[in-house]
Amino acid sequence: MNKFDDQATQSLLDKNLITENQYQEISAYRNLNIFSLNVELKFFLYLSVLLFTSGIGILIYENIDTIGHIAILSILLIVIAVCFYYCFKNSKGFKKTETTFESPILEYLVLAANILTCIFIGYLQFQYKPFGNNYDLATLIPTMVSFFCAYYFDNKSVLTIAITGLAAYIGLSVTPQDLLHNDFYSNPNLSYSAIILGGLLILYTIYSSRINLKTHFNLIYLTFALHLISIASISNMVDDYSHDGIWMLFGLVLAASSYYFYKVSHETKAMSLYVFMMIYAYIGLNIFFFRILDLVDFSGIWELFVFMLPVYFICSTVLFIKLIKNFHKEITE
Amino acid sequence: MIAHDKQLLDDLALLEEANSLQNAGFISKEQKELIKKQLPDFKDHKNILVRSGFFVLGSFLYGSICGAISIVGMVGDELYFKICCYIFAGIGFAGAEFLANQKYYGHGLDDAFILGAILNIGFAIGITTDGYELIIAVFMAITAFVMYRRYLHLPSLLVFCMASSAVLFYGLFEFGEIGKTILPFAAMISAAGFYFSTKKSIHSLKKSYYYKGLLLVNSFCLILFYLSCNYLVVRELSVMLLGNEILPGEDISFAYLFYAFTLIVPIVYLVQALKTKDRIMLWISFLAIGFSIYTIRFYHSVLPIEVALTLGGVVLFAIAYFSIKKLKEKESGLTFKPDRINNSNVLLNAEALIVASTFGMKPEVKTESPMEFGGGGYSGGGSEGSF
Repeated sequence: MNKFDDQATQSLLDKNLITENQYQEISAYRNLNIFSLNVELKFFLYLSVLLFTSGIGILIYENIDTIGHIAILSILLIVIAVCFYYCFKNSKGFKKTETTFESPILEYLVLAANILTCIFIGYLQFQYKPFGNNYDLATLIPTMVSFFCAYYFDNKSVLTIAITGLAAYIGLSVTPQDLLHNDFYSNPNLSYSAIILGGLLILYTIYSSRINLKTHFNLIYLTFALHLISIASISNMVDDYSHDGIWMLFGLVLAASSYYFYKVSHETKAMSLYVFMMIYAYIGLNIFFFRILDLVDFSGIWELFVFMLPVYFICSTVLFIKLIKNFHKEITE
Repeated sequence: MIAHDKQLLDDLALLEEANSLQNAGFISKEQKELIKKQLPDFKDHKNILVRSGFFVLGSFLYGSICGAISIVGMVGDELYFKICCYIFAGIGFAGAEFLANQKYYGHGLDDAFILGAILNIGFAIGITTDGYELIIAVFMAITAFVMYRRYLHLPSLLVFCMASSAVLFYGLFEFGEIGKTILPFAAMISAAGFYFSTKKSIHSLKKSYYYKGLLLVNSFCLILFYLSCNYLVVRELSVMLLGNEILPGEDISFAYLFYAFTLIVPIVYLVQALKTKDRIMLWISFLAIGFSIYTIRFYHSVLPIEVALTLGGVVLFAIAYFSIKKLKEKESGLTFKPDRINNSNVLLNAEALIVASTFGMKPEVKTESPMEFGGGGYSGGGSEGSF
């Protein structure tokens, strides 16, 4: 422990900035000499779940023809059943508000059970095709299981799996590393579905806060909605040269969503939403200006723009700093 | 030596203390605000986004000043090119000094000038000496150290640590073959030496504002020590630097020694960290254990990857499970209860993001192979590289 923390507390007391009682309380706590491994051990649990499920996934993938199918499926089923048995036994049942398990281990067991269920259903479909060629259904069922687990056991990690499943059902990849790789250009319908899904997620957050259902999940829904809507709109604003005017429409969508997320990030005090909203809005605005100038086409003034560019850059940075500062002040108050 | 007002530095420590006490719930928000009003403060930014915004602005400002001078200086072309970086570095020093007088500390603007000055010294010496690495590293280390002593600027201290390691490396290269052979041992010995000396000076330190800097050097030494005795690092570097081709069946000299170090050092770190309750060392030991496992697997595939992952998961789970069980009821010392004062939940908040990126489901329409479809587990297979 750092001996200067003690000194600092002492001098706060000397300057009469904290009371004698508070000082006693603080030094009593410090004398316990607590060294908490809470975060570290939880992280280990989490890592172990990731390692184990990845290992099982690869194991099945590599040996799909050599081990008996029934054997794999039954082992998986047993592990899943054991995990779920412990989770259900120790859970306090469904509650509308935020709940936690008494033991943090169960939180990670839920995650493991859920991922294994996804693997199980995927394997089942691959081998025995219980859903026929209806692959949508094979995506939808793990999604539903995940949503159920997320709500019943109050697990945010499982919720993100559920949302990615939902997006996958309509043909979108919303995992963080793939979000930018959706093919919005060649498939315009995809961007409409992305925006509609984003809109529905927003509507759902409004509804769930009205009926007070797991309001702490809203941030996750909103994060997905923000990125979906913004990326879909921006890629259409850049690309769509074939149909005139459609890009304006997407610009409007982006403007509306940015305004909404501006408001909502203040309400939820979420810095992450605010910063990403600003970045997307800024990119959108620049594309808008660029396309307007492109339309007007006054070639002689381009030189002026080159000189204006540094000024523009500085002004944007100043504005960025100002907005962040104000937001920070607002959420800490 | 320090440009900043010492009173303000002391007050800064008090403000930080008040902040952490408020987070721990020992004092109320109003009381913290009152303390904040009572104590004069630097112009600084605790928020990293704002600070980096100002850093960008500061770099721009620095760049424009240098550009303006260059427009005038271009007249004496050849000569000007030789001395321009010295002039730029001078501007950096002047700017840093000016900002420190205006009570800027950890603001972003000052970072730009301080780091810019160090960088320009590096360029300037590079131009003068025609890219002689040893001299560049020596001068950068000296500048960075002066900057730290004058402005207590932690990033410069990090630059100093790296530059001094570079001085050691390039210095030993001067001795040719022998220097390159004893390089890992020299790095180990100096890291250990500096580790114990900084540890000692932390122990006897009177002024709180040097604490963070010493801690930084101390942790840097731990990392340097581990890396300089890691088998993978030593072997790859010896291939790179000495041009030694390591044939199958052969090994680097002292291979067993390095293998032993690779295995023992992380464990020593772990035990020591738990004994002395040193969180930074604990995390370094975790990373070191991970890297050691990677090192072993890099040369000897002990188990196929899937078995290793599955077993690793089970073992890790068992370790975590039994440790939690053991520590759960303890109220003091080593415990599982969250600490009120130092709690770092950033990592746990990132969990959902990691899950989404490793196990998120992907639409199956795009992929032709039915293997990829729907199952989170299969796409999870793609994550093997990162673990």
